[in-house]
Formats: sequence, C-alpha cells, structure tokens
Amino acid sequence: MSHVRRLGIAAVLVAAIAAIAAGCGSSGGGGGTIIRGTTDQPVSYDPAGAYDLPSYDVIYNVYQNLMTIPPGENKPVPEAAEKCDFTNPTTYECTLKDGLKFSDGDSLDAKDVKFSFDRNVEIADPNGASSLLANMKSVDAPDDKTVVFHLKKPDATWPFVLTVASFAIVDDSDFPKDKLQPSDEVIGSGRYTVASYKPGQQTVLEKNESYTGDDPAENDQAIVQYYDKPSALKLDVENGEVDIAYRSLSPTDIDSLRDADGVSIVEGNGTEIRYLVFNLKLQEGGSDAQKQAVRQAVAQTVDRAAIAKNVYDDTVQPLYSMVPQGLQFATKAFAEKYGESPDVNAAKKTLSDAGVDTPVPLEIWWTPSHYGPSSGDEYAEIKNQLDDSGLFTVSLKSTEWTQYSEAAFTNKYPEYELGWFPDYPDANDYTAPFYAKDSFLNISYDNPEMNKLLEQEAATTDEAKRAELFKKIQDIGAEDVPTVPIWQGKQVAAVRDGVSGVEDTFDPSFIFRYWLITKD
Amino acid sequence: MSRKGSLRTYVLTRLVLAIPTVLILLTMVFLLMRVAPGNPIQVALGGHLSQQEIDRRSAEAGYDKPILTQYVEYLGDVFTGNLGTTLTDHRTVTSIIVENGSATLELTIAAMLVALVVGLTIGILAGRFRDTPIDLGGRLFGIVVYAAPVFFVGYLLQLLFGSTLGWLPTSGRVGPVTEYELDTTTHLYLIDSLISGNFNAFEDTVLHLILPAVTLGLLVSGVLIRLVRVNLMQTMRGDYVEAARARGVRERRVVLEHAFRNALIPVVTVAGLQFAILLGGAILTEQTFNWPGLGSELVRYLNERDYIAVQGIITVFALAVVLVSLMIDLINAFIDPRVRY
Repeated sequence: MSHVRRLGIAAVLVAAIAAIAAGCGSSGGGGGTIIRGTTDQPVSYDPAGAYDLPSYDVIYNVYQNLMTIPPGENKPVPEAAEKCDFTNPTTYECTLKDGLKFSDGDSLDAKDVKFSFDRNVEIADPNGASSLLANMKSVDAPDDKTVVFHLKKPDATWPFVLTVASFAIVDDSDFPKDKLQPSDEVIGSGRYTVASYKPGQQTVLEKNESYTGDDPAENDQAIVQYYDKPSALKLDVENGEVDIAYRSLSPTDIDSLRDADGVSIVEGNGTEIRYLVFNLKLQEGGSDAQKQAVRQAVAQTVDRAAIAKNVYDDTVQPLYSMVPQGLQFATKAFAEKYGESPDVNAAKKTLSDAGVDTPVPLEIWWTPSHYGPSSGDEYAEIKNQLDDSGLFTVSLKSTEWTQYSEAAFTNKYPEYELGWFPDYPDANDYTAPFYAKDSFLNISYDNPEMNKLLEQEAATTDEAKRAELFKKIQDIGAEDVPTVPIWQGKQVAAVRDGVSGVEDTFDPSFIFRYWLITKD
Repeated sequence: MSRKGSLRTYVLTRLVLAIPTVLILLTMVFLLMRVAPGNPIQVALGGHLSQQEIDRRSAEAGYDKPILTQYVEYLGDVFTGNLGTTLTDHRTVTSIIVENGSATLELTIAAMLVALVVGLTIGILAGRFRDTPIDLGGRLFGIVVYAAPVFFVGYLLQLLFGSTLGWLPTSGRVGPVTEYELDTTTHLYLIDSLISGNFNAFEDTVLHLILPAVTLGLLVSGVLIRLVRVNLMQTMRGDYVEAARARGVRERRVVLEHAFRNALIPVVTVAGLQFAILLGGAILTEQTFNWPGLGSELVRYLNERDYIAVQGIITVFALAVVLVSLMIDLINAFIDPRVRY
C-alpha cells in the first residue's frame, strides 16, 4: 500500500474521531431511570450473605422484610406482615398480609419466612449477620400466614432485628438452603428486581410490576454505578453522567460541588458515629479513679464543634452521647455533664482532684484506610486540642485497617478511634455493644449497674420504662467514659437538578429507598 | 548444530524455563498474602463484631489451616485450571479474568496504538532531524510524558476535556445506560457494539476510551520516542543507507523503508514487553478513569485481603507476561540466529 493511501486512511480516522468528540455530550440516563454513583461495593444480594451497607442498599429495594422502618421515622412497622406482636416475653408472632408474591409469580407465605431465617442460621455465612439471630431459639410456620419466633430470652429489640436487610424474605423454591444464591439470580418480593449485576461496575434494578405492597416505585429503573475513587464520582455527577452521588464524597468534594452548576447538595440526619475508645487496662492512670479522671478530662477538653467545622466542613455534627440524635431515647448526656463547649479549667480540676500529674501522656491510634480520607486530619485536630490544653501530650500512631481492626480489640492500643454503623436504629444498638460486660470492644469495662440496666431495657417493650433506662445508661456512660462520642455523620448526597426524593429517604434507618426518587 | 536444531533447542529451553518462573512467582504471591495480616472477614467485620466471633468465623472458613495444606491445595487448583471463587463477593476468578481482563485488553490495545503512533512519529522525526529544534522538541516531549505521573496527566485531561470543555466523558468504559443495554459476547465493547449493530454504543465506547488511552499511551510513547530516535540514528549511519542515497532513492524512502525498518527490531521487543506489562493492568490509569480493568480489581481485592482473588489474578498476569515475552524472544530468535543458545 502506498504512503499516500496510508496517510489518507490515518487522516480520515483522526478526523472521524475528532468529529465524534466535538459533537457529543454525556450519556446519562433519562426518563424513568435514576442513576446513582457510589464508591461502596456490595458483597452479596442474598440476604444470608450480607452484613454491609452497599448490599443492604439493594436488598431493601428487592425484597420485603416482615417489618420495616418507614421513611422519616425511627420505629418498625409491619411490611410483609399485617401485624406483629409479642404474645409473651419470649414469643413474637406475625401474621402475613394476603396476596404477597415474589417477582417470578410465586406466592410468599409463612413457610418462605421460616425458610429464610432457618437458612440464615444454617449457612452462617462468614460475611453474614446470623449472629444477630443468636437470641432466636426457633421459628415456626403453623399455617400459611402465621410466623412464630421463639426467643431464648426477652428482647425488646426483636422487631428492629426483623427490619434488618439480612433477614429479608426469600423464596424457598428458588434459594438453596445451604449456600448462597448468586447475586445476579436473586428473586424477591420488593419494589424492584435485579435485572443485571456486574461486580465492580453496576447493578441495574427494574421496577417489579408484581409488587403488591405500599408505595410502589416512582421510577422504572435504578442503576447503581460503582466507582473506585470519589474524585471520579465527583466529576461524573458534575458532568451529568450520574444523577445522584451518595457515599462517599470527601468534605472537600462536597464543598466544591456546592458551587457546581446543575448540582445541589442534599443533607439529612444520619446515624453513623465516630468515637474515641479507652482500653481501661492499658490507659494511663495509677488507679481506677485516676484513669476515670483522665477519661473525663479528655471528654471535657475535646472540641467537637471545631472538629465538625474545621475537618468536616459541617457535614457532621457534634455528638454528645453514644446514641445519636434522631433515635428514640437519645439524650445529650455528655453535654449535660460536661457542657457543649470544651472547658479546660474543669478538666484541670478533674485531674488535680484525682491526683493525676499533668501533662498526661496519651497514645492515640487511628487508621488511614477505613474511616475516610479525613481521619488523619480529625486526629491531628484532636491532638492539637489536647496538647494545647497543656493537660495532655498526645502521640498519634496509625496502622492499616486489617492490622488495626485486630490489634484494637486484642489489648494493644490504649486509646483508639472507631466508627459505628447501626444494625438497626434503636438505642440498644448504640449502648449494649459498647457498654456491656462482653462488649466487642474488649476494653475491660464492667459496671454492674450498667449491665443490669442494659438487661432491663432489652427485656421491656414499655417505652416510658425504656426511656428512663436509656437515660440512666447514657448518664452512666458519660460518667464512666469508656468511650468519648465525637461526631455523628449527616447523610449527604450531590443531586442533579430535576431529581427529587433523595431527602425523603435520609433518616436514621440508613435505608436508601430508590422507589421514592423521581426525575424530571 | 543446524539452524533448525538450534532453534528447536532454544524454544524447548525457554518453554521449560517458563515453568519454574511461574511457579516461583505463584509461591511468592501465596506467601506474601499469607504473611500479610488479616483476612477478608477481619477486613469486612472488624470493628463491628467481637474478635472472638471474627476468629470463630475465620476458623470455620478455613483461614487457619496449616500453610503447607493451603499451599498444596492452591497449587492443585491452579494446575487443574480451578482459580477459585473470591471470598469477598463470591465471583469466580475466571469471570474476573474474562470481564475485567477484557477491559484491560481493550485499554491496552488502544493505548499501544496511541503509543505507537505518537512514539514512532516523533521518534522518526527526532532521529531524522537530529540536533534541530524538531529533535529537541521531540526529546523534551518524550521526557515530559514519561516523567509526568500518569494519574496527574489523567486528572488534567479529565479537567480540561471533561469538566471545562465538556467534550469527553471522564470515567468508565461506557455510560451507565449503555453498560446495561450492550450485549456482551466478547466483553470487548468496541467489537460487541459492532457485532450487535449498536452504533450508539460504539460511539459511547470510543468516547470513553479516548482519555484513558491517550493518558496511558503518552506514557508508553515516552519510552518509544527515545528508543526509535536512537536506533534510527544508528541505522542511518549504516552503509546500506549510504548506498541507497547513492542510488538516488528519495530521502523519505531512505528513512522509512531502509533505516526505520532495521531500527524496528529492538522497538518491537520493547513495545511487546510494554504491552505485556500493561496487560497486568495499568492500575493508576484504571483508578483515575474508573476503568473496570484487572489492575483496579487487583487493588480492591488486595485491600480486602481476598487472597483467592489476588492469587488468581496474579497467576494470569504471570502467565500472560511469560507467554508474551517468550513469544517475543522466539520471534527474535527466528529472525536473528545470534540470539539462540
């Protein structure tokens, strides 16, 4: 072939590519399709294999649970069930609604519910939430509409447990009883079906026309697009490639998007928390009283408002109890005891009354690879606050998450950062895990009065009684200070103009309800 | 020894040597993943469950089996073609290789095309017009594109052509809707869109491919520019080039058909090796452009301590690199008998 012909072909190709490039814009969805971008990657869409928020985001939309948390609320109500209640302290009975169907047309009955719970326990997937069913002795389906749970001991949180996505109802004729169903082959009775799942790339949900429940989807299709980096997600929401960017943009990205054309920032109440943990065995202090004084002094010195503003650009709010605001029974125990603003003089008095020499050396650990890009800034800010008070000298240490997540709970770190997402939006889930004698924190905290209160609140469904008990629990938590609550996250999304409904789904349950979202 | 016998010996020797090469690499990956702290359950549920519960689940999942037992099982699986299922998201490693490997292959081919066009063109010009402003400009360009961090170049191109001008998309292989609607037979989207007659998808694929291919291609072109220039200058000094000029051959033909062809041999070798390396996944480029290739998947599984996935992907990398470099060596041995044993 001659040079001239070769050059000619090359020129035509280049010109064609240039013409295409000059003429085109983005290729976002339109009409009834909502496209959400996220950096979260799911593990499994089989409820028995899921215990993570990204998987839950889809499961809540594809399946039904016996109970659910309605948008904007924080208490469970029946979903697939017509009604549910305790018949005695250890027996919880549900009656299913009529006419429930899975998306493939199969009827949903009590046997499916029993099957769903039994297989969850049998499979006990390493990534699953079967440990939340530890209090379940057995589950029966005496007839097609009745499900009966027999518990080992009274548990007021059981209705909340039934709202957890890991316990969504599956079809006993489609799901294997002893292993997980592949994520692209799941079938539920919810508002959507999983039309396509490409791991690492996208999940496509299509409206389930057989859905028989309340509030059917207001759109035809929802696409969840996965991103490795928040920066790529930020660019795509700016360019209109996605309609919603939710989880997880950095505070800097969010700030930048506030001024972007065609994009608004939508915020709502969140229940993710961050806190500082003290290992009572390892921490500084010559006696239990001195150790407590050190912890109290730290609680009195930390400036939560400054952290929220300087580090997170107010995408989080100060937290004054381990139970975040927005949940029933939440108080502001730390603010009531120590004030909302830092009080260095009070901290100094606390330490001197206990005979603690200052400055107190603190070794605080944090991790750069699990709690977002601002963790380092957050703990640098905490260090500055504590050092500047003159009462402490802080050495900050960090390690990668895999090592950190084991070392923190095996008596290696005297003080360390942690975060918490709820299993269910009840105050029990923010107190028992931290304050109980057998807490997963393994920090040698054991207060008999606290243990008794936790047992009592779990055993009663009387709301007035629970309110009283949780107030005492939170007050003791502020007095003993095994943990110092720092902040509670807001749910923040960047949303293209013309898309609405995102704010309606932001509530303490952390359920992302695609069915509420519409697009002009 | 005859030419044929020498070549045969060379081929057989190289093939035999490839086996321990791959075996050593697999063993190193296996050991490194086991020595690194943690396991997938620890990564996913640490900080939410007690360490006791995590240890119990890890033991049930078999993560505490003796290292030798795990190693033997691993080698057995590899040699029977069973690369396993990931621990974190229950995908078969084979599906990862096919789906994400195709993404990497498509990007690699496009990037190599860019690299060859840019690298050869500038290299030839620099070599032909030695010690002129063209040569200086070409060398400077080669150094800059090679030295500039690839993610930095990527971000700049995204900001310019994506955000500011709005001409090109900045992430993914195609738009979300196209991703769903495209029928994937080969998982090479350019080919799949043509097979299915979906020209919108073809256009979308081309648009999404431009920025990452140019970013990666420029990096590789930096290597080729200098190599082509140096080799061209050498071959331009050859007697046969003088002879061609003396016969009255036009200068363009002298450069392109006589000097350049002979300068190509080492360039082919390097380009081939670059191709093999890029098949391992240009991690930074893939992450910058959210390109769902093997590199970005490897990073994700490494962070999640999913050693089944990591072992499987590295096994395929190792085989790809060994095979490609073996092919290049065989081609060179065929062309140039001095290369053989």
